[in-house]
Amino acid sequence: MSAPPLSAPPPARPRAQTRRERRRRERLERQDAAIPVELYGLRRGTLTALTACCVLFAVFILAPVVWVIINSTKTQANIFESFGFWFAAPFEFFHTFANLFRDVDGDGTYSQWFLNTVLYSVSGGIGATVLAALGGYGFARFEFRGSKVFFAVIIAGLLVPITLIAVPLYLAYAKVHLINSIWGMILPSMVSPVGLYLMRTYVELSIPRELTDAARIDGASEPRIFFRIALPLMVPGVMTVLLLSVAGTWNNYILPLIIFSDNNLYPVTVGMGLWSQHASNSGDANLYPLIVMGGLVTIIPMIALFALLQRYWRGGLLLGSVAN
Amino acid sequence: MSAISLGKLTKVYSTGVKALDGLDLDVRDGEFVVLVGPSGCGKTTALRMVAGLETITSGTVAFDGQVVNDVSPRHRDVAMVFQNYALYPHLTVAENIGFALTNKKIPKREREQRVRSAAAALGLSGLLNRRPAQLSGGQRQRVAMGRAIVREPSVFLMDEPLSNLDAKLRVQMRSEVLRVHKAIGAATLYVTHDQVEAMTMGDRVAVLHDGVLQQYATPRELYDRPANLFVAEFIGSPEMNLYEASVAGGELVLGSQRLALGPAEAVLAPYRGQKVIAGVRPEDLRLGGAGRADQAAGAALTADVRVVEMLGSEKHAFFAIDAAAAGASALAAAAGEAEADAGLLAEQAHNGMARLDPRSAVRPGQRVTFGVDPRRLHFFDPGTGLAIR
Repeated sequence: MSAPPLSAPPPARPRAQTRRERRRRERLERQDAAIPVELYGLRRGTLTALTACCVLFAVFILAPVVWVIINSTKTQANIFESFGFWFAAPFEFFHTFANLFRDVDGDGTYSQWFLNTVLYSVSGGIGATVLAALGGYGFARFEFRGSKVFFAVIIAGLLVPITLIAVPLYLAYAKVHLINSIWGMILPSMVSPVGLYLMRTYVELSIPRELTDAARIDGASEPRIFFRIALPLMVPGVMTVLLLSVAGTWNNYILPLIIFSDNNLYPVTVGMGLWSQHASNSGDANLYPLIVMGGLVTIIPMIALFALLQRYWRGGLLLGSVAN
Repeated sequence: MSAISLGKLTKVYSTGVKALDGLDLDVRDGEFVVLVGPSGCGKTTALRMVAGLETITSGTVAFDGQVVNDVSPRHRDVAMVFQNYALYPHLTVAENIGFALTNKKIPKREREQRVRSAAAALGLSGLLNRRPAQLSGGQRQRVAMGRAIVREPSVFLMDEPLSNLDAKLRVQMRSEVLRVHKAIGAATLYVTHDQVEAMTMGDRVAVLHDGVLQQYATPRELYDRPANLFVAEFIGSPEMNLYEASVAGGELVLGSQRLALGPAEAVLAPYRGQKVIAGVRPEDLRLGGAGRADQAAGAALTADVRVVEMLGSEKHAFFAIDAAAAGASALAAAAGEAEADAGLLAEQAHNGMARLDPRSAVRPGQRVTFGVDPRRLHFFDPGTGLAIR
């Protein structure tokens, strides 16, 4: 450790410049931090093999997405007859896209379902995040009678698949009039055992106890410690939980299938399932291009959300807080 | 009335570990008291109990005579500096320092004024809009201090505040902490494991070992009249030389040598014919100071010099005498910790050290005679470890 300068700080520089400099410095630091594979005791050949595995895995994951993109441009006939991973004339993309938002067969419209999905996901996701942040912080920082048991029960909830409890869930919902109610969808989506677990771990690992102790000594009330000190430092974890719970509700199929019988309350997942059923029963309604297009439109917001929130994954938020 | 008083303060963790055992301690208003001891001695636990961050198993913490055991840290109105600073990383220096004032709902104007003057007192004026990550270690330390002093507390707690600084800065901050203490005049409890900090900073020093208070006295008293073997060894660097000895006919038998006891004879009367542990500080051994008269009076110690270290301002001579070394370090050596060294350096093995003038012409392999002032000898009971006075 060299003696830190105690003299006056250097003059402030324009903000944009410092940001660019910081980016550049971070990039260079990453380069410096990269350790040559030889130092891990790996041979170059091993590395190539590992990379090949990764590429294979990526192809496996991305192939369906590519298929959806390509086939969203095709007619129903071409979807079945042409090669799946290449385009075939006529180019029907915009036509199908426009049709997607029409009412089909009186089943309800894609736009209605899409709005439903957004409503359920945003309210459920935000609710789940708020509860997970509060609960996770509480479990991480406070010991109270039965805290271990409570936490164990919540974690045990992770292990129960919803298909297993479908029937009791339906019966319970019927009793409290949550069948065909948006609350029946939103309330359960606001409970996220994974989110709670993540938040607890995040708080334990990334917020030093001294920091909350210091705030306590500084006379801050517990809510103020949470909102002013802990929460700003929990942002990366909060964003992770937000993304996970929004995506979880967005993709949820089984819960809305159980609780909704009114087409107008369906989220996209169940609505598309309905179309798919009709398509295989009748076969003539030109529904398959709509299903492919619907799938494509449905995944786009999730990709966008992921890209948007990704920057919060960066660490370094606690820099300078405590000496180590 | 004392500003802080701890009565029979005890902490037993749920694992059964007794971190603190019946600590009695009084800190007067405006006094700077240092809690010192090796790591794991319970000093930080004690401080956290005073702050209210740790539950109290038994005993009391009182401020100005008011027992605050059940008062939450938020309402105890103590200021604390943490070992790792614990700055709020997302807040600026000004917000860090002013956080306690915003909690007290002090009007913005007064708050800003107080933050500015605290920052000025610590040389942080130019850094108020920076975040902790943009500060050096010394500056962060100052912000942590600023956060505490801005509240004008009546009780000031510091938990090893300088241990994360480099040696040079630590020396500089020592006097700065004292200056701040003088300025605010709060009763201060300062925890450290560094006996130099304890000696240089404390009005009074409490030495803790295994959760038990060993001695609570001024630095001078600790150094000159250690209450027991632990304090004798812990305070002072280099350490006091300690030997197993026995008392026979008004003289101290140290291996094959005999030393006149002088004024200590009366105190040691009950130990006549028994073993004691005798100690002498390295600087109390005078080279060449043993004139013929000294030697005749038996106030001299002959030793074989093994190693000489030149430090510039002084010279350390490591020597061997034929008496068995005593004290914790000797016990550790006996337990085999120093075995590897022992084999290699058997011929060089030494059991004592003298702190000499840098110009003294002492060489390894030499046999020298140290003059010893009998009044500077320390005696301890080998059974209890307590000082014989």
